[in-house]
Amino acid sequence: MVEAHIVNIQINAAKCTACKACELACSFTKEGVFAPSLSRIRVMQLHEVGMNVPVVCVNCADAPCIEACPTGAVRRDASVPVVRIDEEECIGCGDCVRACPFGAADMNEERGVAIMCDLCDGKPVCVDHCIYGALSFAPRLPTAQVKRLAHAHTVAAQYRNR
Amino acid sequence: MLRDIAKQRLLHVDLSDGKTWVEDVPLGDLQKYLGGRGLAAKWLYEQVPAGADPLGPDNVLIFSTGTLTGTSAPSSGRSSITTKGPATGLYLKVSVGGHLGAAIKYAGYDYVMIHGVSPKPVYLWIDDGKVELRSAEHLWGKGTREVDDLIKEEVGDPTIQTGVIGPAGENKVKFACFMVSRYNSASRGGVGAVFGSKRLKAIACRGTGGLRLAKGKEFFALARKVRGALAADAGSESLYNWGTAGSIPGLNEMGMLAAYNFSRVTIEHGERLSGQYLLSEGYLIGRESCFACSTACHRFVRSESRQWGSVFDSGPELETVMSLGAECGITDIEAVLKANQLCNDLGMDTISTGHVISWAMETYEKGLISPEQADGLDLRFGNAEAQLALIQRIARREGLLGDLLAEGTRVAAEEIGGDSWKWAIQAKGLEQSAVDTRAAKSYALAFAVNPRGPDHLMTETYAEFGFTQESRDVIRKVTGDEKYADPRLTEKRAEIVLWHEQCYGASEALGFCVFTSTAAFAVNPENMAQMFSLAVGVPYSEDDLMLAARRMVTIEKCFNVREGARRKDDRLPWRMMNEPVPDGPNKGMITDEAMLENLLDQYYTAHGWDLETSIPRQSTLKYLGLDSVCVGIPVIP
Repeated sequence: MVEAHIVNIQINAAKCTACKACELACSFTKEGVFAPSLSRIRVMQLHEVGMNVPVVCVNCADAPCIEACPTGAVRRDASVPVVRIDEEECIGCGDCVRACPFGAADMNEERGVAIMCDLCDGKPVCVDHCIYGALSFAPRLPTAQVKRLAHAHTVAAQYRNR
Repeated sequence: MLRDIAKQRLLHVDLSDGKTWVEDVPLGDLQKYLGGRGLAAKWLYEQVPAGADPLGPDNVLIFSTGTLTGTSAPSSGRSSITTKGPATGLYLKVSVGGHLGAAIKYAGYDYVMIHGVSPKPVYLWIDDGKVELRSAEHLWGKGTREVDDLIKEEVGDPTIQTGVIGPAGENKVKFACFMVSRYNSASRGGVGAVFGSKRLKAIACRGTGGLRLAKGKEFFALARKVRGALAADAGSESLYNWGTAGSIPGLNEMGMLAAYNFSRVTIEHGERLSGQYLLSEGYLIGRESCFACSTACHRFVRSESRQWGSVFDSGPELETVMSLGAECGITDIEAVLKANQLCNDLGMDTISTGHVISWAMETYEKGLISPEQADGLDLRFGNAEAQLALIQRIARREGLLGDLLAEGTRVAAEEIGGDSWKWAIQAKGLEQSAVDTRAAKSYALAFAVNPRGPDHLMTETYAEFGFTQESRDVIRKVTGDEKYADPRLTEKRAEIVLWHEQCYGASEALGFCVFTSTAAFAVNPENMAQMFSLAVGVPYSEDDLMLAARRMVTIEKCFNVREGARRKDDRLPWRMMNEPVPDGPNKGMITDEAMLENLLDQYYTAHGWDLETSIPRQSTLKYLGLDSVCVGIPVIP
C-alpha cells in the first residue's frame, strides 16, 4: 500500500459560499472551457439548509475506481501517490464513475473519457482560486486532529456554560 | 453542449400557443449593445407597442444572462429581466444574482424572451437543448420555496436552478418579485406581477454545457488578477463580513438612515438592524455567493424567536432592514427577519412592501386611514405584528387596505386623498428605496432621472462621498479633480451621474455585479472592455464600452418618452424636495425643486437631450446610431 492519504484537497464546507470559482478554474485548466459539468471538483448547493459542500476525489487508500477499471487506466504510481486516469487507456465505460462512493469521478461525454481530479501535479488550481478558505492543499491529512479539536471545543463549551 | 461565447442565442417562448424558437444574435449587435441590459432594451423597444398594458399579452419578459456570465470573470453571474413595468407603466429592468443565469447559459441560451399569455398556469423547463412548458396548476397559490422544492422533485434533480413567483405575483401585486435560486430576489417594479399576468409560475433550468472563449488563456489570467484585486478591496471585505446591512451603523451616524417613512434619518437602537448585530448575536449562520462571485455579500440567518417563531432565510439586505425595519419604526431584528421571510416566500419586493406599509402607518397616525379602513389593524409605527399581518393581506389582496396597498403608494395615496400624497415616497409610481437623497446631490439627480423610478439600483453614485482613495480616484477621473468628491456640491453632478450610469449599464450587460465596479472598484470600464474583447474575440476599447452603455441609457429613455414621459416626470418624491433633513448631522439639508431643475439642465445637456422636454435629440440618436431604432418619438433636431 502506497501512502495514498498523504496529499489531498481539504474541504472546509462552512467556508464555502458556492461561488463555483473552483469549478470554473478546474474546467478551464483541464478542458480549456468554462463548464462546471467538466470540473473535477463540484460544489453541492444544499439550498434548503443553506450549506454548500465541495466534493472532490479524496484519494482513497483502497480506491474502488482502481479496482473497477477493466483496462488498468485508473491507477496510482508509486512515484506520485495520486489516483489518476490515463486517458489513452480509458475506454469510457464509466465503471469508475459507478464505483466511486463520492461521485468524484465523472464522464466527459464529448471526448468519451472518464475525468477525475489529479491534483494538478501538486498545485491544484481550484485551491488557488478559492478565496474563501474553503479549499486548502495540505501535505498531511489533518482530518482526525481537526475533528478532535472541534469535539474538544464542544466539550469545553459545555463546561463553560455550566 | 460546448459553444463559442460570441455566438449568442435568444430563446423565444410564446405562452399563447406554446411555440418556442431560437434566434441567433448577430455579432455586430452584441458589439453595439454589449449584451444583456443593452440588447434587451432594444428588443423591448421593438417588441412592446406604445401604450401596451404591462399586464396584458403585448408585454414581453426578457430574461438576459450577462455576456460574460458562465466565465471566471469575478462576480459576473448576474442576470437581468427587462419588461414594461406595472408599477410605473414605463421601462423596467431588474437585476438579480443567484445561479439561474449561469444555468441558462450552460443550457445553450443567452436570453429568453417570453411572449403572450398562457391559457393555464405553466412553468418553463429548460433541460439543456430541450424546452418544455409544463402545467403549473398544482403549483399555483403556493409560496416560492415550496414551489422550488416541488419542481426539483418533479424533474428529479435537486441541483437544478429555478426562478419562481409567489402568490403576490399571481395576484399581480404591483411590487411582486421573482425569486431566483430560492434566495435571490429580482425585486423592483412589479416584475413578478408580469409573470403572474402571463400565468408563468416559474422558470427552471438544468444546463450542463460549457463556453469556449476566443482568447481563453489571456482571459483566464486577467479574470484571476481582477478577482484578486476585488477580494482585496476594502468595500468587498465589509460586504463579506457584514453584508450590505453592514452600512447601518455608518448611515445612522451620518444621518442617512431612512426611518419612519423618511420623516427621520436616524433611529434609536438602529444598530440592532445592522449586519454587525446579526453576526455578534449569532443570527448569521453562513455566507453565500452568487455565481462566480468573489465577495459573498449574501447570507443565511436563523432566528428562534418566542414571539415570531423560527425563521431560516437568506439576507436580510440593507434595504430590507431599512424598509421593513427603520422605515416602519421597527428595530426588533427578529420581527424584521420574519417579515423578510414572509416577503420572500410570498414573492414581494421588501423595499416597496416596507414603504407602502410605512406610508400607511404615517397616514393612519395622521388620521387619514381610519381603524375601519385598516381592517382592525393598529397601524402605528413600530407595530411589527400589524406589519406582518398586512404583508400577508397585501400579497393575497385581502381586505380593503390589503387590496389597495397592493397597487403601490401612488395609487393608494390617490385613493385615500388629502395630503397623503406628500408623504407617499414615490416618483413615477415606484417607491423610493431607503436612501436619503436630500444630502447627496448625485444621488438626487440619479434617482430623479432613473427610468424605472427613484432607487439606487440603476445608478448608484457612491463614489461622490469619497470614502476611499479608490472612490476619490473615480471622481478625479470623471471630473478632473478630487475635490468634487463631496455629495453636497451641485457642480459636476451630471458628469458623475453619467459615468456611473454607463458603468452600471456596462457592468450589467456583461453580468457583473455593480458592487464590483461602483462600490468596490476593481472591475472598471478598462478591464471590462478587455475581458469582453478577449472573450468575444473582437477589438474593444473602454470608449466603445461606455458608448454602448450610453446607447442602453438612451433607448431606455426613449422607451419612456414614447410612453409620454417628459422632463416633468423626472422628479423626486415630494418629501425629498420639500421637507429638509429633520435630524442628524445633515439637518436642514434639501435638494429642492430649483436645485433639481439645475441638476436636470446639467444632465440633459451632457446627454444631448432637449432641455424643455428631455427628449433625446435626433443629432444625439444619430451619433449613437440609434436613429433607426428609437422611432415613434417626437423629432427634435
